[in-house]
Amino acid sequence: MWILVFFDLPTETKKDRKNYAIFRKLMLADGFQMFQFSMYIRHCSSRENMEVHLQRVKKILPPKGHIGIMAITDKQFGQIEVFYGREQVNAPSTIQQLELF
Amino acid sequence: MIKRTLYFGNPAYLKTKNEQLIIEKQDTGEIISTPIEDIGILILDHQQITLTQYLLAKLLENNVAVITCDPTHHPAGLFYCLDGHTLQSQKHQRQIEASVPLKKQLWQQTVVAKIKNQAELLKQQRIENKYLLKLCDLVRSGDPDNCEAKAAIYYWKHLFPDFLQFTRDRNGPPPNNLLNYGYTILRALVARSLTASGLLPTLGIHHRNQYNNFCLADDIMEPYRPFVDAVVCHIVMMNGKFLDMTPSMKKQLLSIPAMDVKMEDQKSPLMNAVQRTTASLAKCFEGSSRKILYPTFC
Repeated sequence: MWILVFFDLPTETKKDRKNYAIFRKLMLADGFQMFQFSMYIRHCSSRENMEVHLQRVKKILPPKGHIGIMAITDKQFGQIEVFYGREQVNAPSTIQQLELF
Repeated sequence: MIKRTLYFGNPAYLKTKNEQLIIEKQDTGEIISTPIEDIGILILDHQQITLTQYLLAKLLENNVAVITCDPTHHPAGLFYCLDGHTLQSQKHQRQIEASVPLKKQLWQQTVVAKIKNQAELLKQQRIENKYLLKLCDLVRSGDPDNCEAKAAIYYWKHLFPDFLQFTRDRNGPPPNNLLNYGYTILRALVARSLTASGLLPTLGIHHRNQYNNFCLADDIMEPYRPFVDAVVCHIVMMNGKFLDMTPSMKKQLLSIPAMDVKMEDQKSPLMNAVQRTTASLAKCFEGSSRKILYPTFC
């Protein structure tokens, strides 16, 4: 399963920017990675695990802002197509249980 | 939940940032980040891997089993955390106070489960297994007749094809090296789960060698050994006499934690099964149960 989080956060005041920075930092600490500006993704190995991370995101939501959270399956995420300009690039691959570096 | 196994066989610099493991590959300069909480086993198998102390502390905090390898690429050592469970002190106390009859009964269950799995593996390899099935029924509390050893003699004699002239010896010729490798992965997995269940991997129910630091892990992994043997059997079938360790063999042995096993008629990955086994063992020590859960082949 993949969790996608999209957000638009206000950056008018110093306090808003601070809230934004805290939110982003906590997302990173929970294992989310930037996919685009203000769109973060995380792979979860099971549905139960996904629930855990969904709850964690909901706990750290900033006071203001517009946030969307979506969870999709590996299969659905695998159909994503990613471009840089007109050039197609590799999409993030599904996390394997065993990885050799 | 099934945790990830990371294996490092190339130069890399490992550090931590934002609770993540950051991997800087030395050859390509690529930087990869992985959540530490998703890792179960981390294997370090190259002389040019550098890692920070803070990362090591974080890995232990998340109860990751860290395995280091020697120059022959065999696992040499294992780090595991000393406070894996909130009720650790109480659980250790119960484990130390466990009565001799209880330990003997637990050992009886363990031996029966092991011989059953050995018999099942022989059956899968189309080898006669009636002798082992007969032995299963003869195991008494504490296994005073040493059925385990009797089964092992028959099992090792018949498991591998005759041309290998196999004898099980830790320092012996291949496929002993493959078996050792697989068992070390398994041992790390079991030791990790034992600490997670609040038990001390040092105090065994049967093994009590004063030089062994993982007696309980060695006890509990017994019924799991045939799963490693099955993987090695498969490798032998594919490679015949050429059994020096190759990366593809290593890959097969490293997939052991993700293998399917059957437990109480439910299929699950081996890693989860180990966690259930150690949890049921902790219950036995507390006196709320008398049965350890062990998996069977599927």
